[in-house]
Amino acid sequence: MEQLMIELNPQTTQPVVQVKNLAKAYGSNVVLRDVSLSVAEGSVTAMIGPSGAGKSTVLRCMNLLEQPDSGEIVIDGHCINAGKKTSPKSLAALRRSAGMVFQHFNLFPHMTVLRNVSLPQERVLGCSREQANEKSMELLKRMGLADKADQYPSRCSGGQQQRIAIARALALGPRVMLFDEPTSALDPEVGVEVLEVMKELASTGMTMVVVTHEMAFAENVADELVVMADGGIIEKGHPGQILKDPQHERTRRFLRAVLER
Amino acid sequence: MEMLKAIAIGLPLTVLVTILALMIGTVVALPIVAGLRSRNRLIWLMSRGLVDLLRGIPPVVWLFILYYGISIGAVRLSALQAGVLGLGVVAAAYLAEIFRGAISAVPKGQWEASSALGFHRATVWTRIVGPQTARAAIPAYTTFAIGLLKDSSIASTIGVSEIVFMSSQYARQSGSGILVFFVAAGIYILLSVPLGLLSRHLDIKMRKAVAR
Repeated sequence: MEQLMIELNPQTTQPVVQVKNLAKAYGSNVVLRDVSLSVAEGSVTAMIGPSGAGKSTVLRCMNLLEQPDSGEIVIDGHCINAGKKTSPKSLAALRRSAGMVFQHFNLFPHMTVLRNVSLPQERVLGCSREQANEKSMELLKRMGLADKADQYPSRCSGGQQQRIAIARALALGPRVMLFDEPTSALDPEVGVEVLEVMKELASTGMTMVVVTHEMAFAENVADELVVMADGGIIEKGHPGQILKDPQHERTRRFLRAVLER
Repeated sequence: MEMLKAIAIGLPLTVLVTILALMIGTVVALPIVAGLRSRNRLIWLMSRGLVDLLRGIPPVVWLFILYYGISIGAVRLSALQAGVLGLGVVAAAYLAEIFRGAISAVPKGQWEASSALGFHRATVWTRIVGPQTARAAIPAYTTFAIGLLKDSSIASTIGVSEIVFMSSQYARQSGSGILVFFVAAGIYILLSVPLGLLSRHLDIKMRKAVAR
């Protein structure tokens, strides 16, 4: 174990995220069977597949929003084994390494936009209010939302809210950003704002895992495409290649459904 | 005029009983809510049982039990103590249910975002779920407070000299019959209407700020 931790030096080309043999079931309903996945530093992984395939569950298992029944998750050297009891400390460390963006934003409705982004920095990183606000304003500017800082989230459009949520997650300096269908709750036109921000983020070298139905994003931005169906990964590889020449019949059926509508 | 003065003497005790009972109820409700949300079946069962016991017996019976039935050594509760305590613990049961409902009205996503950001449990309660719960509970809480204001008249049965007690005393002495109770009713309305207005005002103000 000691040795493993040393080997996971961030300087090496070790994957930032490693998921090994993840499995989960609700009673007899199997949602994940033996999912393994690794995400290289600075890469963008897109996860696609029909609904109910388990894409979101994999993502939510990565930061333990869902407890897997078995398997192992390593993020930035912080290892969690589903079989063993996790200490709150290692759980906190793992969650600090992973920023999460939700389909429904989940901003805090009783705080201004600025407080939404600053509070986690104060509480989790121990920043002073001034430090946190400075960082928050910088991020909000980058998201094109500096003028919204003193508004409440309810006064912002869906696309703006999602960008605030991205800023909130980025403010904690994560090693990897997890996106759970970030544009699915948005109008297509508004979704574009969010995709632009994500593209910009990818171009700065942020490691990202994105569960999405946006095929253009998966094709043009992602370095790695993972196709899931029925609780397992059925295909993974270079996006262009999979989209052009899918190997699996289930993949072909799914791609026909999403591309030829 | 003389009638009004006689009744008004009871006003401070009505207000005092209401406020103290509400304070006791609010504080005692918190551990009960924790119990109602507990995953430990035994703790849950005890909390559930306590709430049902407190709500299932009429407040006036609780007051009689506390006033006539309880003596700690040679010390017996005064009428005011028994009244405040009795109404307070019954209030705790109702308020616990109000708080429990308000907590479950906080969307699951708020908990998830808090976990994903790595907040400690204490931070989640004080900064995220607590404030949203308080907002969600305001309408039901003030409705209950207005109900309690009127129910404080139950304390007259054990001799707390609040508005209703003073009214019936005056009615007996002067023989003025029903009129004195209409005046008492007017005083209750004057007390409860502003409370209701304040509640609605707060609710609307907060909705404006944070409406989803």
